Amino acid sequence: MRRFLSLSSSAALEALAEPLSAILFLVALLTIHLAPVFHYHQFGEAGRLARECGFSALLVFGLILATAAAVRSIGGEIASGTAAAALARPVSRPLFFCAKVAGVSAFFGVFCAAVAAATLLAVLTSETATQLADCCDDHGASRLWATGLACGLFGTLGAFVAAALSNRFARTRFCVGACLLMALGQPLALLAALPFGQDGFAATAAAVPWRILPPLSVLACGCVVFVAFAGALSVRLKPAPTAALVAAAALSSFVWPLRAVLPAIGRFWMVDSLAGGGRVPCAEIVAAVAAAVCLTAFWLVAGSLLLRGRELP
Amino acid sequence: MSEPVIEIRGLRKTFRDFWLRPVAEAVNGIDLTVGRGDVFGLLGPNGSGKSTTIKMILGLLAPTSGEVKLFGLPPRAKAARARLGYLPELSYLHPFLTARETVRYYAGLSELDGRTAKARTDELLEQVGLAAVANRAVGGFSKGMARRVAFASALVSRPELLILDEPTSGLDPIGTREVKELVGRLAADGMTILVTSHQLFDMQDVCSRVAILSHGRVVGGGSVADIVAAAEDKRHALEDYFVARLKGGAA
Repeated sequence: MRRFLSLSSSAALEALAEPLSAILFLVALLTIHLAPVFHYHQFGEAGRLARECGFSALLVFGLILATAAAVRSIGGEIASGTAAAALARPVSRPLFFCAKVAGVSAFFGVFCAAVAAATLLAVLTSETATQLADCCDDHGASRLWATGLACGLFGTLGAFVAAALSNRFARTRFCVGACLLMALGQPLALLAALPFGQDGFAATAAAVPWRILPPLSVLACGCVVFVAFAGALSVRLKPAPTAALVAAAALSSFVWPLRAVLPAIGRFWMVDSLAGGGRVPCAEIVAAVAAAVCLTAFWLVAGSLLLRGRELP
Repeated sequence: MSEPVIEIRGLRKTFRDFWLRPVAEAVNGIDLTVGRGDVFGLLGPNGSGKSTTIKMILGLLAPTSGEVKLFGLPPRAKAARARLGYLPELSYLHPFLTARETVRYYAGLSELDGRTAKARTDELLEQVGLAAVANRAVGGFSKGMARRVAFASALVSRPELLILDEPTSGLDPIGTREVKELVGRLAADGMTILVTSHQLFDMQDVCSRVAILSHGRVVGGGSVADIVAAAEDKRHALEDYFVARLKGGAA
């Protein structure tokens, strides 16, 4: 178990320490938090723009982050020799591969948690602001709208500044600190915004659109399959062809036979079911998560077998 | 000879291209035995097959034919690899980890419990002279400092067999002397050491036995004491023997 934890924690730390991660965390979270600025563009429903922004950010930035991290953690380590140094220890190749995928998935989990909290805040801000504006109470609307927006932006940009200060005075790793503080800043921003709702903390808390979390989790599970897929490819391929193949596979995953081994994004993209206050049926969520688990297991086995036969010169 | 720790019989390695055509015959029928307590030097010019042999001993490369046994087990057996430490030719380290985290990482890979890992890490960092910079990321280290971290990582599990691939590469004269002294201390403690190096003068001081590799074959070797005893110039005995064997003449 210690071997697994050592390998997976180093993979997660490596992903967090990468400057690309801090940049994509920042861009994804700002994209979501700025959605309420356009709350007069409702696309037929209050909060829809913010909701779809959150799901899109998870899919697009999440896939880029997860693929890059998986390729770096497995293919990059094989190329640089750190994998050989680890595999010269009493570490089996399947354990190495699975632990690396687990570490990258944990890092991706941090990103998902940040995106989920940011999306909850952005949707709440957009929905409440629009509803209140419809009732001609512009003052109450602008109060939550402005506070939600400010909390979201402060939770994100403030985390960046805090990471920089911590790096300056305590020599902590800037990118790791920035990613973790941004992830921590999102739920705190949501909590900080709640007392500023029209009817107080409790009523605003009850209005938080928790129903978006299950479909968001399904989408995250779909992305985890791509982490294992990218990891398996990177055992044999260089980073550029791996990234190209993952992108091509993600775009064409609805085509047979790819849909048998990869999550068809359409099946995991459940945000449309949330329109008009709808909820995704529990059976659909369970089926999608079960499919993602099976596909991840498939790519873990495939990656382990590929690594088993790989020579490490 | 004492109980064998490494046994190699008829070892061959042919590298092939994508179409499975042979590209290079890196190792061409090596037979070697390293006994417990030996400090065994695997010497040879660049491209002679030293690193390829070491990687087959570690199970990182599969032999084309022949057999390797570590403690009587196949090299990929976890029980065998749990008893060895490895210092690669280049110090492959994660640049984002600090020196302390790097040694702890390898302690984790060797299943040391938290308390033992911490104590052993502190002890080794002190031993290699990096205690003062233990919390700095190794990405900013000089080549020599990175080498010391790699050395500490190789020793963290108190291995019975230590495999050192060019241990003095990148080290200044003081660092080289410290490595020699460390190898001497470890050997005195009974550790079996397999070492490759180009520094023949240093190898003469630390090795008890050597094998000379050229073009993937063993072209000479034996006890360092015997080689020195037979030489006219005792100070450069191993170097003279090495050159003579590579030129195909008698030592």
